[in-house]
Amino acid sequence: MDCRDIEYTLTLLVNNRPGVLSRIAGVLGSRGCNIASLCVAPTADAAVSRITLTGGADGDFTEKIKKQLDKLVDVIAVENYTGPRFIQRELMLIGLRLGGERRADLLRAIDLFGGRIVSMDGDYTVYEVAGTREQTQAVLSHLEPFGVEIMNRTGPIAVPRYGSGNGSLAPDPAG
Amino acid sequence: METTGADIVLRTLEREGVEAIFGYPGANSLPLHDRMIDSPVRHFMMRHEQAAAHAADGYARATGRVGVCLSTSGPGATNLVTGIATAFMDSTPLVALTAQVSTDLLGRDAFQETDIIGITLPITKHSFQVKDINDLGLSLRQAFALARSGRPGPVLVDLPKNILSATGPIRENRFDETPIAALKNQSNGNGLREIAEALNRSKRPVVIIGGGVKWSGADRKVNELIHGAGIPFATTMMGIGSVQAANGLNLGFIGTHGHDLANRIVHQSDFILAVGTRFTDRSTSRLDEFAPLARVAHIDIDPTSIGKNVPVDLPYVGDIAQALTALLPLVRSRNRTGWLQKIRRERTLLEDRLPNGGCGEAGQFIDRLQKVLPEETTVVTDVGLNQIWTVRTWNARAPRSLITNGGMGTMGFGLPAAIGAKIGTPEREVVLIIGDGGFLMNIQELATISYYRLPIKIVVINNGQLGMIRQIQDLFYDARFTTITLGNHTDLVAVARGFGIPAGRVRAGGDTEKEIEAFRKARGPYLLEAAVDPENYVYPIIPPGRSNIDMIYGKCA
Ligand SMILES: Cc1ncc(C[n+]2csc(CCOP(=O)(O)OP(=O)(O)O)c2C)c(N)n1
Repeated sequence: MDCRDIEYTLTLLVNNRPGVLSRIAGVLGSRGCNIASLCVAPTADAAVSRITLTGGADGDFTEKIKKQLDKLVDVIAVENYTGPRFIQRELMLIGLRLGGERRADLLRAIDLFGGRIVSMDGDYTVYEVAGTREQTQAVLSHLEPFGVEIMNRTGPIAVPRYGSGNGSLAPDPAG
Repeated sequence: METTGADIVLRTLEREGVEAIFGYPGANSLPLHDRMIDSPVRHFMMRHEQAAAHAADGYARATGRVGVCLSTSGPGATNLVTGIATAFMDSTPLVALTAQVSTDLLGRDAFQETDIIGITLPITKHSFQVKDINDLGLSLRQAFALARSGRPGPVLVDLPKNILSATGPIRENRFDETPIAALKNQSNGNGLREIAEALNRSKRPVVIIGGGVKWSGADRKVNELIHGAGIPFATTMMGIGSVQAANGLNLGFIGTHGHDLANRIVHQSDFILAVGTRFTDRSTSRLDEFAPLARVAHIDIDPTSIGKNVPVDLPYVGDIAQALTALLPLVRSRNRTGWLQKIRRERTLLEDRLPNGGCGEAGQFIDRLQKVLPEETTVVTDVGLNQIWTVRTWNARAPRSLITNGGMGTMGFGLPAAIGAKIGTPEREVVLIIGDGGFLMNIQELATISYYRLPIKIVVINNGQLGMIRQIQDLFYDARFTTITLGNHTDLVAVARGFGIPAGRVRAGGDTEKEIEAFRKARGPYLLEAAVDPENYVYPIIPPGRSNIDMIYGKCA
C-alpha cells in the first residue's frame, strides 16, 4: 500500500475511550500514511465520538484503509466522505494587527470573505472564517501580506450533502 | 458475596474452558498466583515469558482453543512481545494476561511499569486495561470472544495489581457473545453463486488452501469440494495438512520454499478459489507475475485480507465452513481430463528433476522418523531449513498435526510451542524438529520439559550453522559466508542430560536404526541430535525478486 496525493476524508464513529485514537493513528502510521488533519468531538451520545480525518491517498488505498479501520473493535462505523457528495467545512482563526493605512483594505477583504471579527485588543484583531479548505487557504494567502501573527484551523469536518435516498450530484454552493 | 479480582480472573478462565495457562510470576502478578492454589486451572511455569507466549500459541494451534499466557508487568510483559507477534501473524487465538502496577502508580514510571498496551498495539486484535474491578469479568469475557471470533488473534488484558487484589461483588454478569462474533461485513449469497458459476465454467481451476481453513474447522468441507468436484489443490505453508493427498489432486504448497508443481500449475490456472489465505509475499513471490491467467475468487472471514495483495475478482467475506457448505451444492463436477493429464505429466517430469524431494539426507532422515512414529503424531518445527525439510517431507494427515510458524518466522518458537502442544493434546505423540540455532534460542525450556516430565521427542538437526542463512549466502551472496557458524563445540547430548533428559546422537545419513529405535521407545522426554552436512540445503527455491515459476534446482541452475 502506499499513499498518493489525492485528498481523502474519512469519518469514523468510535467509542469514546482512552487509546482509541492511538489505534487509529497506528493503522495509518504503520502503512506509511500521513494524517493531514484530524478532528475529534463527541456526538449527541457522549459515549460515542466522531472523528474526521483527511490525508493523501489513492482511491484503492482509501478503501483498504477503511477496511482496516473498520476492523478495530472500538470503531463503530467508517465512512468515506471524499468527493462532491459531502459538505466539508473547516474553521480558521487568524490573529493580526489592523494598524496603519492598510486598515481599510484589510477590513474590506475580511468583509469580502464573509468572515467576522471575534475579538479586538488595541490593534490586534482576531478574525474568524469558515469554509472549505480551498476557501480558508485563499483567505490565508490573501491576508498573509498584512502580517498574520497567528493562524489556527480545525481541519475539515464533513457530512453528507443529501438525505438518504437523494443521490443527485449538485455542486457545493460554497465551493 | 465478595471476591477478589484474582478470583474473578481464575473463575472466568474456568468458565472459558481453560485447563492450562503458561506463565511466569513477578511481584505485580502475585495476587493472581496466590489464588491459583485453589483453582482447577493448571499453571505451567515456563523458564522465560517468551516461551510462555509460544507455549500458549502451540496449545492453541494443537487444540483449536484459545491459548492463555501470563506475565508480570514490565520485563515480564515485554518478554511476551515476540510470542504475541508470532500469534498475530498466524491468526492464533491467544489471550495474554499481563500484570501491571497499581492504578495509582500508572503513568509515574513506577518500578516495572511499562506501557504494554502501547507496545503491543500493532500486534494485537484488541487490548483492555482494567481499571475498575467491576469491569474485570466482562473485559475478560470480551477478550476471549474477540480472540476466537472472526479472524482469530491475540488479545491482551492488562491487570493492575490493586485490581487483582481488590474485592468486589461476584456478579454472574450475563455475557452475550453474539455482537462480538457477528461479522460486520459478511457477504451475501449472490457472491457464492457467482463463485460457483465461475468455478463450474473454468477449464483449469485450482483451489488454494490457507491456514484459515484449519481455524474455521472447514477441512471436511474443503475435502468434499475437492474430491466431489475433482479439483486440484495447492496449499500455503500454513494450510498444509488441511486436506489429505488423494487422486493426484494434491499439488503441494506454493511459494518460495514450496513445490514447483504447485507453483507452475497455479501459474497456468484459469481460475483460483482461494480460501483462508492472506496471499503473503512468501506464497506469491512477484505479485505482477502471480497467476497471470486466473480469475481469482477469495473466501475469507477477514475483509482486509481480500484484495490486499492479489487483486480479487470474486470476493466473499464470511466463515469458510459456512461459505463452503452453501457453495458445495452449487458446484458441478465436470470433465477436465486435459487439465488433470497435464498435471500428471508435469508431476512426473518434476519428480525426476528432484531426487529425495529436494531435502537431501535430512529429508530422508525425517521420513524415517515419521515411519516409526504413530499415525497420530503431531510434528512441531522451528524456523529455518529444519522447517522447510519438515513441511516438505512430513505427511501431515490432519489439519492440526503439523505446527509451524509462517508469518513471523520466529526462531525459538519450536521448543515452547511443542510444550503447549503436548499439554493441549497429551494423548498425541509430539515430536519437535528444530535446528541447532533455534534450539539455543529457547533452550532453557528443556528445564520446563524435564520438570513436568513432558514426554516430548526432540530432534535437533545439527549442521553447526544457521543453515538457511548459509544457503542464502551460498546462492545469492556469491558464497561469502559470514555470521553463520554456530560451531560444533557445544555437546548437545550432554546439555540435554544436564537438564535431566536422556539423549542420543546420530548422523542423519549414517546408520540410524538403533538410535531411532531408542528415540521411538522413549517413554518420557528424549532428545536426538542428528548431524547433517552444512551443505544439505533445500531445493528448489525461488531467488529473491523472482516469480513463482522461476524456481532453481541448484547453485548454478
Ligand atoms: C528470531 C529470529 N532471528 C533471526 C531469524 C533469521 N533466520 C531465519 S532462518 C535462520 C537460521 C536458522 O538456523 P538453525 O536454527 O540452525 O536452523 P537451520 O536453518 O540450520 O535448520 C535465521 C538466523 C529468524 N527467523 N528468527
